[in-house]
Amino acid sequence: MIVFDQLKKNDVQLQLLALVFCLGLAVLLIGLWWVQIVNASAHQESVETQAFRSVRIPAVRGKILDRNGVSLAENRPNYNIHLYLEELSPAFRKEYQRIRPRAVITNDLPFWKDWLGFPTVTTQYTKLSIDNLMRVQRQARYNAAASVIRRIGDVLQTPLTLDYTNFTRHYDAQRALPYTVASNISMAQMARFEERGINSLGVDLEAQPSRAYPLGSTAAHVLGYVRSDDSSAPNELAYFSYRMPDYRGVVGIEGGFDSQLRGVAGAKSVQVNSLGYRQSETIWEAAESGRNVVLTLDVRIQKAAEQSIQKFLGNNARAAIVVMHVETGDVLAMASSPTFDPNAFIRKFTPDELARWKSEELGVQKNRATREHYQAGSIFKTIVALAALEKGLNPLEEFTVDRNPNNPAKGIYNGVRPPVKDTAPPGKYDLERAIVRSSNSYFITNGLRPGVFDKVVELGARLHLGERIGLPLLQETPGNFPRAGNQRSWNPRFKANICIGQGEMDVTPMQMAVMTCALANGGKVLKPRLVDRLESQDHTGFEPPEVFPKGVVRDHLGVSKRNLDIVRHAMLAETEDVAENATGRNVRIDGLRICGKTGTAERDERRADGQFKNTVWFVSYAPFERPQWAVVVMVEDGQSGGATCAPIARDVYLALQQMSRAATNTLATTR
Amino acid sequence: MTPLALKDTSPRVDRLQIVALLGLMVVGVLFIFSATMVSDSAAAQPLVKQLWFRQLVWLGAGLSAAIALCLVDYHTLARWAEPAYWLNILLLIAVLFLGTVRGGARRWFDLGFFSLQPSEFAKLAVILALASFLSRPAEELRLPGNFWRAIGMLLLPFALIAKEPDLGSAAVLLPTGFTMMFVAGVPRKYIFRSLGLVGALVILLIVDVLFAPPIWQPIKLKEYQRQRLLVYFGRDFAPANATPEQKRAARQLQQEKTYQSKQALISVGSGGFWGKGWREGKQTSLGFLPPGAAHTDFIFSVIAEEKGFVGSATVIALYAVVLFTGLRIAGQARDRLGKVLAVGVVTLLFSHVFINIGMNIRLMPVKGIPLPLLSYGGSSVIASLIALGLLQNVHIYRKGY
Repeated sequence: MIVFDQLKKNDVQLQLLALVFCLGLAVLLIGLWWVQIVNASAHQESVETQAFRSVRIPAVRGKILDRNGVSLAENRPNYNIHLYLEELSPAFRKEYQRIRPRAVITNDLPFWKDWLGFPTVTTQYTKLSIDNLMRVQRQARYNAAASVIRRIGDVLQTPLTLDYTNFTRHYDAQRALPYTVASNISMAQMARFEERGINSLGVDLEAQPSRAYPLGSTAAHVLGYVRSDDSSAPNELAYFSYRMPDYRGVVGIEGGFDSQLRGVAGAKSVQVNSLGYRQSETIWEAAESGRNVVLTLDVRIQKAAEQSIQKFLGNNARAAIVVMHVETGDVLAMASSPTFDPNAFIRKFTPDELARWKSEELGVQKNRATREHYQAGSIFKTIVALAALEKGLNPLEEFTVDRNPNNPAKGIYNGVRPPVKDTAPPGKYDLERAIVRSSNSYFITNGLRPGVFDKVVELGARLHLGERIGLPLLQETPGNFPRAGNQRSWNPRFKANICIGQGEMDVTPMQMAVMTCALANGGKVLKPRLVDRLESQDHTGFEPPEVFPKGVVRDHLGVSKRNLDIVRHAMLAETEDVAENATGRNVRIDGLRICGKTGTAERDERRADGQFKNTVWFVSYAPFERPQWAVVVMVEDGQSGGATCAPIARDVYLALQQMSRAATNTLATTR
Repeated sequence: MTPLALKDTSPRVDRLQIVALLGLMVVGVLFIFSATMVSDSAAAQPLVKQLWFRQLVWLGAGLSAAIALCLVDYHTLARWAEPAYWLNILLLIAVLFLGTVRGGARRWFDLGFFSLQPSEFAKLAVILALASFLSRPAEELRLPGNFWRAIGMLLLPFALIAKEPDLGSAAVLLPTGFTMMFVAGVPRKYIFRSLGLVGALVILLIVDVLFAPPIWQPIKLKEYQRQRLLVYFGRDFAPANATPEQKRAARQLQQEKTYQSKQALISVGSGGFWGKGWREGKQTSLGFLPPGAAHTDFIFSVIAEEKGFVGSATVIALYAVVLFTGLRIAGQARDRLGKVLAVGVVTLLFSHVFINIGMNIRLMPVKGIPLPLLSYGGSSVIASLIALGLLQNVHIYRKGY
């Protein structure tokens, strides 16, 4: 080896020394090899963990629009003032130097120091224990930040204060993120901020989207609501050092289409220095915006439906309306009352709103069109009539209703014990009169004829009663309906109740809308369509919208056209037969012939005056000649279908008429 | 003799060593630049305040001093060894009273533009004085009295430097002094006995610090020194009978104390094979490697992070060249004075390199010892260059004309 050769051959000491040096340097090289090559990745990981923080970036939530593009749910920029802590760190240090405790010490100097002119009085910083040191530093940071915030407050002309605990918590846990000084500032404040250019203080204006429902409570139950959420959605990075919260839809479309609306959150990495302050940012994965949901609702009809409930019954009415297109199954309106303002979940609830939201009695949270089921009452007689006709009932055959001995003006059905009261007067009835006067005796007697009840159960199954429709609202109840196969438990009393829409059956207003459409469109049982399409938020995107098919037929009633026509005419008479004092006459409008059926179902509960509470209904469709729309109105605890529901339905038909006229006019002008 | 005959076939200076030294100086300035110019505010400082430039100034001053020393034969210099030694002892005493305190230690004279660290120069003076003392006839070296005088020459500055306290700087005196005695021909039994004594003392001290209860510690180390030792041996700060509260406080303190050496290790390790590139080191720019130490005692971490294993091996290779050419100079020296002087300088250099790099990769406990010619620091740079000038001096005057 060159090193040793150059040394004198006999110089043992120097050779030994050279050997020691060789060994020493070899040890260092081996150590370096161990640290830098063998364990390099572990150390590189340490750098990653101490110098980088991952931050979740929420995606922009999709809008919810009505069929004409009217926005029902959207994002509004909320302007917040953010304080960047890393820019404040010199101010923190300066303030710390200022408030650091110090003591003035008078030294008894040795003579030579005195002679050399050393000062006898010096000021020294007091040595602090770790806990005290931390406390003083916290206070210094708070003071420095608070003074900046006061200055911002002066510029904005609003007094701003800094919450000590809040600020300290943010500093300890989220130092790499800016601190929100003021949120949701007004346009005027924004202008002042921009004008004064105080960005040099380490503050900046940030726009943060917040969910907004521009039409307030309109279609609230369809839209649902969102809550602030910071859990990871599937297919996201499971761990983030910091996650910016976004919204999670709870119910309604917000809930049912949450993942589509929400999009996919992105991630960025923030490089921090040894003090934990932000140095730079890199976006790893950009957020993928959520998609817009375009509903089949028409805001005009929706509003008309909601306003008519309010007009006739007030804010606390417990009612529901469903408006459906009889051919396509498009839901044009779905109203549920009492309603709420979904904006309350973004801002705060007022105490009043909160009390309403929590009230058991009002049940504001429930979408009554789908979430609640009710006894159908007389509106189900349309189906019993169809079943009887299919089994050979002659619609013109006369049937006599017996007189009720306790109430001579009304009829009675004596076929079961106890007898069933009839709201219709005693006398002779054919099918049409039985429908118009809603005779219980007539339909029980005919319903109990051989084979008819089984047909009723079959039609119910074809209408999918007792089953969920599968609406994307996360608020749906299946209701109840007898199923074929359980015949043994069906006694005459049970059957008699079903024949008049009571007893062991419950339906939702939505299910009744499907039934009404089937009566109107020749027997097609449609799948209601609430969402027209999902489309990307930026219209320049190449992503084609995802359109849901129209007029999906789930089933056919499988009844003859003749029999349907008989029921259709009877339903027309229900609104137009003046001689018979038609129960549905309150719905009548000039220029629109409406078929309808009223219903009043007794509930088990009694009102204060001792009467049974009634669930009242009005199912209808129009125009008679070429049916287009089905309107179902349900009111809990109402007077009667004709008196309570028909006027409400009338308002809805007026709006539909207007809409259709507007459409023809547009067509005419565009031609 | 004709002027032509003066031209020896072998060069007057050791060129290979000079090249290696220049390489180290360039690397030093480059990485001081990288370690200190991390923010805009650092770049906005006037040039004279920028540390890489100041380092250039110190290098210039040191080189001038070294060249000046090379003009005088080391035999002449050796005559001034004793006055230089006592002058330095005086300075070491003075600094204990007049020095400025930084980080709990009184090591510097604040001269305004320059902080003079007398211990750096004292090391040099000790080498020169000891070499001159050991150059006496071989028979005299065998006398125990002379051996003890040599030990005394070593222990006086050792004690003064340790008092500052600067145990690291003091510690390098011991291997340097013993190696010089060994090479000079002091009987081995003396050396081995005293080495055994020192070794036993060191072991006792360490065992004492690590295991004995505080009242049992006859040698009072400064608290931070005790903590460094505990950190190095990975032991808990808190005594076994501490309350949970004390233990929590002790653990926090320990984390803080371990911080520097942990970050140095992360810096070195994360460099990998090729490193992250000059001025690309995250550990430095983000301040994880303490900004006060990155360009001084931990400059090696900066080099290792930014240039990887390749860079650190290069640095070690450069030092190896300096060390082995130094040994060659010792071997070729014309007399015992030159040989012992050269060995002293080389051993001092080796001790610094081994302890400093060792501390960067946690082979050694953290000590405030600079890496010669790479670490920033006027005293260290000038003293190192003077020492290397002495080495070249031994080489230049090896022929004895």
